[in-house]
Order: sequence, then structure tokens, then C-alpha cells
Amino acid sequence: MNSQDQLWDVAVVGAGIAGMSAAIFAASKGLSVLHIGNGSGLVFGSGLLDVLAVHPVKDSTVHEDPWHGIELLRKDEPSNPLALVGPKAMEVAVNQIMEALGKAGMPYEPSTTNHFVPTSMGTLKGTFGVPTTMTSGAKAFENKWPTLLIEIRGLREFSAAQMVHTMGDKWPGLRFEKIEFPDSKGVFELYATHLATALETNKTRQAVIDIVRPLIGDAKAVGFPAILGLSESTAVHKAFEDALGVPVFEIPTMPTSVPGLRLKHSFEVAAAAAGVFRRVQSVVTGVKFDNDIATLTLQDATGNQEVQAKAVILATGRFMGRGLFADREKVREPLLDLFVEQPESRENWHSRDFFAKSGHAINRCGLLVDSKWRPTDAFGAVVWPRLYAVGSILARQDWMRQKSGSGLAIGTAWAAVSAMSDDFGSIGGV
Amino acid sequence: MNYAIFLGCKIPAMVPAYEDSTRAVLGKLKVGLQDLPFTCCGYPTRSLDLDASVVAAAHNLALAKQAGLAILTPCKCCFGQLRHAQRFLEEYPELAERVSAFLQHEGLPFPNGVKVDHLLTVLSKEVGLENIRSHVTAPRTGLKVAAHYGCHALRPSAVTGFDNPMAPTIFEDLVAVTGATPVIWPRRIDCCGEPVSASNPDLSERIARGKITSALESGSELLVTACPYCHMRFEELAKDMGLPLMLYPQLLGQALGIPDKALGL
Amino acid sequence: MEDTVFNGGFFTTALWIALGVCCLGLLWRLVSWLIIKIGPDAKEVSFLQRLGAAIIGGIKAIFSKRLPGIIGGFVLDSLLQRRLFKVSKKRWLGHMLLFYGCLVLIVMHALHVLLADKLFSDYQATLNPFLLLRNVFGVATLVGVVLMTSGRKKDWGKVRPARLPIDALFGILVVVIVVTGFLLEAQKMSSPKAFNRMAEEYGIDEDEIKGLRWVWKLDYGVAFPDLKGEPDPDLLEEGRGYNEDYCVGCHSKPQHAFVSYPVAKAAGLIATSTDAANVDKGLLYIHIFACFFAIALLPFTRVFHVVADPISLVVRGAASSAPLSKAGRVNRRALAMDACIRCGLCDFDCSVGPIAKWMNNQELLPSRKVQATRLVASRSEIKAGQAERLAVGAHLCTDCGRCTDRCPVGLDLADLWDAGRGDLSSKGFPAPAVWVKEEPAIAWAEALGAELGRVPPAGPLTADRNQFSACVQCQTCTNVCPVVANSGEDRVDLAPQQVMNLLRLGMNDLALGSKMVWDCATCYQCQENCPEGIRVTDIMLELRGAAWRQLGPVRDRRRSI
Repeated sequence: MNSQDQLWDVAVVGAGIAGMSAAIFAASKGLSVLHIGNGSGLVFGSGLLDVLAVHPVKDSTVHEDPWHGIELLRKDEPSNPLALVGPKAMEVAVNQIMEALGKAGMPYEPSTTNHFVPTSMGTLKGTFGVPTTMTSGAKAFENKWPTLLIEIRGLREFSAAQMVHTMGDKWPGLRFEKIEFPDSKGVFELYATHLATALETNKTRQAVIDIVRPLIGDAKAVGFPAILGLSESTAVHKAFEDALGVPVFEIPTMPTSVPGLRLKHSFEVAAAAAGVFRRVQSVVTGVKFDNDIATLTLQDATGNQEVQAKAVILATGRFMGRGLFADREKVREPLLDLFVEQPESRENWHSRDFFAKSGHAINRCGLLVDSKWRPTDAFGAVVWPRLYAVGSILARQDWMRQKSGSGLAIGTAWAAVSAMSDDFGSIGGV
Repeated sequence: MNYAIFLGCKIPAMVPAYEDSTRAVLGKLKVGLQDLPFTCCGYPTRSLDLDASVVAAAHNLALAKQAGLAILTPCKCCFGQLRHAQRFLEEYPELAERVSAFLQHEGLPFPNGVKVDHLLTVLSKEVGLENIRSHVTAPRTGLKVAAHYGCHALRPSAVTGFDNPMAPTIFEDLVAVTGATPVIWPRRIDCCGEPVSASNPDLSERIARGKITSALESGSELLVTACPYCHMRFEELAKDMGLPLMLYPQLLGQALGIPDKALGL
Repeated sequence: MEDTVFNGGFFTTALWIALGVCCLGLLWRLVSWLIIKIGPDAKEVSFLQRLGAAIIGGIKAIFSKRLPGIIGGFVLDSLLQRRLFKVSKKRWLGHMLLFYGCLVLIVMHALHVLLADKLFSDYQATLNPFLLLRNVFGVATLVGVVLMTSGRKKDWGKVRPARLPIDALFGILVVVIVVTGFLLEAQKMSSPKAFNRMAEEYGIDEDEIKGLRWVWKLDYGVAFPDLKGEPDPDLLEEGRGYNEDYCVGCHSKPQHAFVSYPVAKAAGLIATSTDAANVDKGLLYIHIFACFFAIALLPFTRVFHVVADPISLVVRGAASSAPLSKAGRVNRRALAMDACIRCGLCDFDCSVGPIAKWMNNQELLPSRKVQATRLVASRSEIKAGQAERLAVGAHLCTDCGRCTDRCPVGLDLADLWDAGRGDLSSKGFPAPAVWVKEEPAIAWAEALGAELGRVPPAGPLTADRNQFSACVQCQTCTNVCPVVANSGEDRVDLAPQQVMNLLRLGMNDLALGSKMVWDCATCYQCQENCPEGIRVTDIMLELRGAAWRQLGPVRDRRRSI
């Protein structure tokens, strides 16, 4: 099957969490989905799925109940996309994605509230969806179990020593040991992914277990950097717990991390299982609309191609994903030159205080959408009846400070696909 | 269905059973094969001289074009190289011009628009899984099979268009058609190690060993390949490590009731 | 007449010298099969081991159960040239005509005293069928030569199989021998002097000869200058009688010599003058000395394959039933040097033929590589430029085995190429993936810098700044790289993202000799997974090409210092 040979129901542009989720939701509704993008956002992920942890950002108020947080947000920022999605839809959407990822090899602990997961920086991260390989970390901290952290010589992105240094005051039973990874003598720099794949073989796994077991002592839990398997993390994690006899947890490391790759891998498997047709290393360089059909120009190593779809979902992200582009004067949406809500002039982009808790105006710029998640111009008119926008490209949110990136992506994808499938019903589509 | 079969260099010389079993299986499934005077696809030359590798591929593509046939190759490296050459001819017009002049001198047409398929894509997309299933008379029920994808067909997907490069299914589907049970194993889409077997044999063996270990620990009873290079890389090692190895058309051939001898077994 | 010539001693001496040279040559070449060392493993076997392997191999072949098969193969492949027939009917015909033409001429004509006289009780050179057949086979030989040499250019285009001047010389000798043979026969037919000598020998008296002369002028084409007009019918009748009595027993009508006779007629007018100028003697000398020269030359030209090839085919037959010992393999390679007839059939569908044409490097072609293999195995130094071409030929070979299958004389060319690569490596010309690792990347960069004083561009992708401007050094390429993951203690020097970083900074030179670039398994994981769409693997391959072009010459110059 070639993507240019058929008229697709939906073309999803962008393959971060928003694009992936939109593609999976749309395909699950029976629509034919062409999905373009290389999943760049995913490898930078930590594997943790945030829904909403902080509101209001100016006070850095952390919520244990994300649904309550969204309720509050609805009052304070009614046009925040998270508020527009609403807690109910958000819950359904996030759970569906966690389930799909679980089936694709990356299970999440069933969850109703936020959890506080220790990170490699020695901080606690409030988040909603926690991979099963990481959940014991939150429990260990909560109960202040005596805990052993394992540091691996040569793995530069993870320092257990720093974690103990930073968290030791709050977590007196925390200590660490530094070990030599099997077959790594004389190797200056190790990469987490390679350790993760090595641990998927019995021999290496057993060697590490044999090194760690005598170090446990009184520890009631053992923490590793996130290297316990790549595509087989569940099995590897279980093998460690069975062999060591105590709860074992992974600590998310700096991007690009193993859980980021896992997330990408699992999203890819889930998308394939849902029947999404993927174009991985392609970039959409242009979109033309006529009455019923959008024509997208794809550029990849083989040159340019045109594909056609009845609907388009834009999930191209912000500056990093090139969904938005800032020049000397203003912020633009480079693909369709859509209207971008933004401060009047560049000097208002940032506040005087760089570390201002309330963030900067530029962080909240982005696309405006109507009630059906369709981008509009400055006066509220839709650009094309079946062009939708989801994820971090949307205006009036600050996902980084709100700790709501995944929720924003998954929730808006869910809402937009629901609106779109209603439209398909009315135009006699699938 | 009629194809020009492109065997490349390695199959006739090193893995003749692959040719035998491919012909036997495709014959049974009524896929017509024609032999053209093909030469090296250019893959081994690509490391040193891109232009020469493109001209080598173009020469073959032109032969197919002249005969008005699509190409079917059982070799993943030939497949990738032929596709790459098509890409480079589009990407570098100046090279395309020189190649065109060269081919003209040989009395050959410029080879645009030649369809290049791998054995697996022909089986899965052109022949069709249901069609194959209807021919299966001796299903390999219960056999746990690890399918090894082979890099040069799968990636870069923008060039090869073989299957979803991150989560492919084509090979497992073809294994399932034989009645066997495909195993999803961690290293299934990773490199076999063959391309560095000459320049760094230790490295090559470590990579291959890792793959076979992964297949074994996932409970596989058989490893199947669909590329002569991958097959050669695994051949001795898999035997040493106790994992039986087969070429895909051998597995399919058995399911189709073709006698072992005709499959090179 | 010939007998008289040989009695003179001069010719006999010359013949013995020619035969002596030929025999010594044969011996030298036979011994060379046990001496020439090709392949790294050749140094591991002694002369005695090789002699033993040859003798045992020979005995085994004779007494093996496969003997009928070996003989059958010899008949099909050697005598009937089955493989050549499959490739080119024209060349097959040429070869058959040339070989059997020569063979028959040698047996029936050159060696008639030894062979033909004994085989055929009534052998007479001037009698049919011998008279006719000599012309037939002479023509066959010439047609054979023409078929074998014409159209080569068309068959092979710019790239042609290797030829040696000595082979051309031998071909010319064959043509000279046949042509002088015809001329000699024609001259003799029209020569009054020859007629007179025969008449004298048979004691024919004055009266008898008058009529006989007319008969020989009219029926046999002797150019008597004094016989003009029409003969007296009675005299002619009388002459025919004498002819029946004296001549017909040994002389068929010369018209059967369908080449020489027309030549004789055409040259009849000048026959007397040629008689006077002893042209016959001159032609005879040329004819015979050309033969002697050819005999002496034979072991040194590719015609020697008539000896080497049957042996080679027997060896192939033996090797196909049981693998040869190491000494046997080494012997077989040495034998191949003589058995190869440079026919070029191996080049015909060589897998890398189009590449050889494109690169304009004939050293990629098997027929050239046979000789290159010997050169590389020999003690002589190879010039750097030439070695580079040979190395390309050796290392770009895909080992497809077609040349071995195609070889009409049964050479194991695949084994020969393998041995040749080994010899090239031990002479300092291994594959680029090997020699690049002789020095660290930084040493290559310094050497390149010292010579050029600037960083040369590597290729279109490397030169494209947009490729790397997006690189955020996220390390994804390294994370998915099986080479970095499996490189063990012998680490790669740079991880892929570090190579990309060098390119981003314009420091191509530091990347060219990097182990990472040369150990890359080209699995395309990095390229497929790159969040920024950078064509990492394509770039690695581009860097290899650039390193080969740029570092290769640097290495050559440093070697020659």
C-alpha cells in the first residue's frame, strides 16, 4: 500500500504524544489514518504521563488530585485547552492511551491521583501515569523505606550520589552503591539504552543480579536508573524483583532516556495495532484545501509526494517540534500560516524576571480553536471545516509549568477526534 | 503475475537453497519468473563509490525496464540498493544524466518507473495472505518461529517502503500463514551483524550472538530469514547455539506440501 | 624433397634446438606449478608437500571411481568445448576450426613421416583425399583465426580481456605457416623446375616428356614458358598415356587443392621467374622456420593451455568429489596461471562488469585479475597507483562465483580471488575498512591537513549545512546503534552523534578515519529514528567514500616515502 494511492479519511501531522494519540483514537473509530512524522517528541519524554499537577502556576500549587485541578482551572482559565477538554473526557482519554501502551509493552499502574516520583535530579515529580517499573519509587519515598540506589560506573546521565546528597535530609534510609556493569571494564562512557538491551538477556541480567544482591543489606527497596529492559521492561523488572526479593524501581533519567524510547516504541506498536498507516521520516511541507479534500505535500528522502485526505489534524507541537516558528518580529505557524495568538510585540514575549513563576507570555501563545478544535482566524472564523489542531501548539496553556504536557496532548486529541468523527457522521463518511 | 527475478551475487554462490525454495514456492503460487542477464546490484560498492553503485543498480533496472517487467528480489540488500539507486537518481540530476549517457551507450533505456519488490512484499501484498493460506496443505501448527526482518528492506522506510519500520508485521503475518506461531522477540528488527563481518568479525559475531540469544530466550524454536546475507551470518552460529535456521520460502514450502528436496533442505 | 632438406643437417639442428627449447619450456612450466606461491597459505606448504599432493592427486584421479566422469568432462569441456558453445557459437566454431585444423595439419602434414605414413598405408601428400583435406584444414585454421580474433571489440566494448604480445606473435606465426604452405603448394604446382626434377627422378626420356609436359601444362597447371598455342592432339594423347603410367598413381588432379590451385593459376605467369629467384626455397624456409619458432615458443604462449587445460579439468573433476588439501589448492592456483587462456569468457557476464566500465578500471575483470594475482604474489614491488587499481579490483569483487562457473578450463577462480586478496593485504593493500583503522582518526586528519592545508568537502550531504543545523545532540542515533552497543572493550572512537557534531562544526577531516564510520553496520536505525530527520547512515557511507578518495592517496604517498 502506498500512501499516495488512496484518499485518506484523516491525515495526522506530527508524531509526538498528541499526534500519536490522535492517530490511535481516529483509527479506533474506524477511520483510515495516514500519520506523518518521526516521533521526535517522544524520545524526549520521561515515560511519565502528566495530566495536571500545578495550578495556579504563579503560586506553584501542586495538586494531588488532577481532576480537581482541572475543575479549578475551568474557573480560573476557562479558555485553557485543558479546561475545554474537561476532567471527564480527560480521564477517559488518558486511561485509553495507558491501556493501549500497556498492550504494546509499556504498562502503567492504574491511577486515580497524582504520584510523586523521585527523579535523577533528586527532586520529586508530580505525575499521573507511572510505568509499573517506576511505581515502587514513589511508594519507597512515601514510606521512607530504607532504600538502596544503584549507580553504574560510566553511565554519565545518572548519579545516585547526587540523589542521596539532595534527598538524604528528607529520606534518611537512602544510600547508594556504585557497580561495574558486566563486560564494561575500561569503557569510558556507557549508554543507558545499550545497558537496557543487554539486560534483556538472561546472562547479563543474572550477572547484575549477582552483583547487586549482596549489596541490599537492610534495604527494603532497590532503585536503578531507568535501564531495566527496552521493549521487555515488564519482564526484566519482574525478573529483578523476583531475584532480589524486594521491590525494585526505575528512576527516570535525563532525556533522551530509555523510557522515552520505550514510549516511542510502544506508541508505534499501538498505532500499528490500531491500523494507523505511518510515514516515519517524512515532513509535510505544504497543505492545500479545496471544498472537501486537503492535499498535503510530503517531503522525504525520495523527494516530494502529494497525498489526499478528507480531514487534517495538526499536532506539530511548539518551537521544538517546529509547529511554531519565531522570527525577529512575531511567532508564526509555518505550515499554513495560521493565526497565532501572541503578545503585540516582541518585547512583551518575556517578563523582566526570567525565572518568573507565572511564566512568560510567549509560553501561552499559539493557535486559537473553535468549540470543535478547529483553528480560527483572529475573528473566530474557521480556516477549513475539517482542519483540527491538538496538543501543545494550542494557545492559552503553559504545559511545562502546569505539568500537564501529556494530558494536554491526549485530552485535546481525544476531544478533537470526537468532534471530527461527529462531523464525519454528518458528511456521510465512515 | 510476472516478475524478473533478481538473485544478486550471494544467493547463487552461497545460498543456492534460497533460489531453489523461492522458485518452488512461487511456482506453486503461480508467480511467473523470468531470468534476465542481471549483474551486481551495486550494494557492495556503495561504501566506496556511490556513483558506481548507482550505475550498477541502474544497469539492472534498465534491463527490467527494457523487458517491461517488475523486479522481484529475495535479497534484502539488493532490494534496498535498487530502491536507493532510484532515490539517488532523483536526488542528483547531474548523476542521473551521466548514468543515462552510460546506459544509452549500452543500448539501454533510462530506468525510471521500474517497480522493485522483495519476495516478502510480493507474497504478502501481491499474492495475498488469504490466497497463500488456501494453498497450505501441511500447516506447521505449534512451531514457534522468530522472524528476522533484515535492515536493508525495513529501513530507511522513506526509501524502501517495505513496512512500518518501527512496528512491522509483514513477516510475522507470513509466518502465521504457514500455521506456525510467530514470536515477538526484542531484537527482531535489529541488525544481524553481517555488513561488518569482514571488517570487524568480533563485533559482527557479538551482534549476531545477541540476536540469536534474544530469539532463544523468547522461546523460539526456529529462526527464519529472508535475505542471504543475514542467513549466512546466522548459519553456523545458530547451529552452535542450538537454534534451527530456515529461509522463509523453505518454511512456507513445507506448509505448501513441497518436498524438502525441492526446497534445498 | 623435405627429406633432402632435413638431410642437410641445418634444418635438423634447428629442429632439435626448437624441440629442446620447447621441452625445457614445458619442464619449466610444469615445475612452476609446484613453485609459484599464490595466497597467504601458500607459504605454509613446502615443495615436497606440493609434489606429493600432485602425485597423489594424479594417482587418485586415475584410480578413482570418478574416472569415467572425469573423462566424460574432458570430452565435453576440452574436446567439444561445451562451455564455450553455451556462451558464443561463433567463438566455439572458431576454436574448433583452429584447434582441429592445426591438429590435422600437424598429424597429416607436418609429422607425416612419423604419423600419417604409418596410419594410412597409401599416404601421399599429392593424392586425394590428402590433397583436398590439407587445403580444407588449412582454410579451417585460417577461418578459425579470423573468427577468434574478429568481433572481440564489439563483444567487450571498451573493456577487453587481457592479451599478451607473445600470444599475438603466435597467432601471426600460425597464419604465416598456413599461408606460406598454400603459397608453397601453389608454387610447386606451377613450377617447371619441380616438374623437371620429378621427370629426372623417374628417368623419363626426351620423347616421353614432350607429351607429358603438355598434359601437365593443361591438366596440372605447370607454367612452361615455352609451350604456347594448341598441342598436337596425338602428342597430347601420348602424353596422357605416360601420365597414366608414371604420375597418376601419386598425383590427384590439383584442382582439388581448391586454394593452392587458383593461386597457382593466378601466379602461373611469374612461375618461371619465381623459379629462377628460388622463391620456393625462400617460402620453404619461412614455412619451416615459422614452424620451429612456433614449437620453441609454444610453452611460453597461451597455446600451452592445450597441455595445462586437460590437467586443470581433471583437477576440477577431482576437487568436486573431495576437497583438495592445502597443498593441492596451492598447486591448483599455480596451474591456473598456465591454464588460463585469457579467453575472456569470465569477463562476459562478470557481476561487476558495468562497474568496471563505469570506473574505467579493467582490473575489476576476472581475466585481468588472473595475471594481477600472479603479479601480487610475486616478489616484485607494485607501484602504488597500480596497486590501488588492483586493490579496487580485488575488493569490489562480489564473490558471485559466475566466473568460476563459466571458466571453460575449470579454474577455481573464486579461490584465486580469495588468495589474491590475502596477498594484497600482506603486501600492504588490504580493504579500505582495514587500512583506515591502521591509524587513529586524528592522525589521518593531521596527515590530510599537512598535505592539503584545508578540509576538503566530503560529499553533498556532508556539505549541506541544513543537514546538521537541526541536530540537537540528543544522542538518539547512539542509543539505537548496535555497533556502539556491541563494540565491547574495543570501543568505537566516536559515537554517531559525535560524528554528526564534528560535521556540524565543519570538521569532516576528523570523521573520515573514524572507527565508527568504518564499523558502521549500515542498519539505518539512526537514520530512521533521528528526531530531526538527519540522514545519519547515508552520511556515514558518504564519509567512507570520501575517506577512500582522500585518505587513499595520502596513504600511498606516505608508503612510497
